[in-house]
Amino acid sequence: MTAEATRTTTATGATPTIEVSGVSRWYGNVVAVNDITFSVRPGITGLLGPNGAGKSTLLHMMAGFLRPSSGEVRMLGEGAWKNADLYRRVGIVLEREAVYGGLTGYEFVRLNARLHGLDDADAATRRAIDLVEMGPAQDRRTGGYSKGMKQRVKVAAAIVHQPDVLLLDEPFNGADPRQRLQMMEMLRAMAAEGRTVVFSSHILEEMERLGDGVLVIVAGRLAASGDFRAIRRLMTDRPHAFSVESTDNRGLAQALVGDPAVSGVQLENGRLIVRSDDFGRFTVQAPRLAQEVGVSITAMAPMDESLESVFEYLVQR
Amino acid sequence: MTRVILGLSLRQLVAQRRTLLLVLLAALPVALAVLFRVTGGSLEENPDFAAGIMAHFIVALVLPLTALVVGTAALGQELEDGTIVYLVAKPLPRWQVVLAKIGAAWIVTATLIASSVLLVGLVLFVGQEGASQVPAFMVAVVLGALGYTALFVALSIRFSRALIIGLAYVFVWESLLSQFIAGVRFLSVGSYTVSIADALADSPSRLVDGALSGVNAAVLLAALTALATWYAMRRLAAYQISERV
Repeated sequence: MTAEATRTTTATGATPTIEVSGVSRWYGNVVAVNDITFSVRPGITGLLGPNGAGKSTLLHMMAGFLRPSSGEVRMLGEGAWKNADLYRRVGIVLEREAVYGGLTGYEFVRLNARLHGLDDADAATRRAIDLVEMGPAQDRRTGGYSKGMKQRVKVAAAIVHQPDVLLLDEPFNGADPRQRLQMMEMLRAMAAEGRTVVFSSHILEEMERLGDGVLVIVAGRLAASGDFRAIRRLMTDRPHAFSVESTDNRGLAQALVGDPAVSGVQLENGRLIVRSDDFGRFTVQAPRLAQEVGVSITAMAPMDESLESVFEYLVQR
Repeated sequence: MTRVILGLSLRQLVAQRRTLLLVLLAALPVALAVLFRVTGGSLEENPDFAAGIMAHFIVALVLPLTALVVGTAALGQELEDGTIVYLVAKPLPRWQVVLAKIGAAWIVTATLIASSVLLVGLVLFVGQEGASQVPAFMVAVVLGALGYTALFVALSIRFSRALIIGLAYVFVWESLLSQFIAGVRFLSVGSYTVSIADALADSPSRLVDGALSGVNAAVLLAALTALATWYAMRRLAAYQISERV
């Protein structure tokens, strides 16, 4: 996968807008991000990984909020750390729900417009609020907003100055399906205008629906990168493990081990662990072989369907 | 741009529930002064009362407490809530954020305390001599408020428990140790404030005896304010935002 790491993530031919080179970040003895290199071009790029993988830390470094312990993040050709001028062209939506509770949605977005020094803060505010469809709630205080509404008003604040680069940390958390769809549409429209959108998520489906390019981050390292279909293939073509319980585990193991669909068997605590490279064939063959040797299967379950195990698999390659 | 942050910060500080408590605190000396007059007290018979209420109550207690609560909240609350990202992810240098925050905390503190001094003065000195003390104390508390708020804003960037450290500074350092260690007066905003008030007042009717000359106090106060502001700017410029820590 290290060769993959230097590959760009999106197919369009434009020059990279974000370049992350050899970036690490540690907190005391804990390594949150470990020597990551990639570049991002205009379009939508997803950072996929389980919780605690280092996606947020990476986004914070791209946003210039955190200084990398080593390596460098370049945004639009400039260093990201201690570079306030970059924020003219970059918008950031963090996961934390913080908003100024005492302000209305409109006031909150307008505050951001004024802090950007926009000439017509009101026009920019109305445009941004329309984009996230928060018009009906704009005069209510943000303190009383639902999680999804806070998220949308935060996005409006981040795009009020029409940035070239938009960074979003877990933007779909707390959004209902309709809001999710609407926000995805908006991000796609921004990408179609040639802007760069980077979002993080631990949900595979969000990547599938949105990410032109996907960067898979696991345990602080870049585990894979490429378009979504390539990542997906990596995940489905992996070996599967099943936990099987039967009336005669030892006898069943002997019967299964000869089948081409089975790559390994292991007896463990009264159950049988079976590994298979061919998910389809194994599920058909296992009951048939058991019947042939006169063993009844009492339980059979896939052991590693969680996303974490998929990631673990990707990292080991 | 600083004006936008100043406006936001003033709004935040005034809207806080604890501000009501601070108004009550500032009203306390006024209530005491009223009680003093209503019960027939007069400054001729009891000349120490004015000094006691102005120097030992307002300057030594109400001013630092108010500045502490307002100063640590002005920027500290944004750091704690995470709303600081909306200020720093903007094309403006972070030192402007610090200036606006100290400015907002100063305006709120100075307004509360100067009003308290003015009202106490009106109640005590109506028909009495020594009314020139009142403007002298008003100027002094406004300047003292600046020193305190700059100090407490700086503390709030450095320490997440700035309130407790600030309390220790006010009560252990300024109030307690200054009684035993003479040198503390050189490093005490309270002592600067009293000394400035003393220097500004007409000498025949002096209420208090400042430990420092007016010039020395003003210079030291300016130096402390500048140092605290500079430190706060430096800390915020290097401040890293993360979901951890």
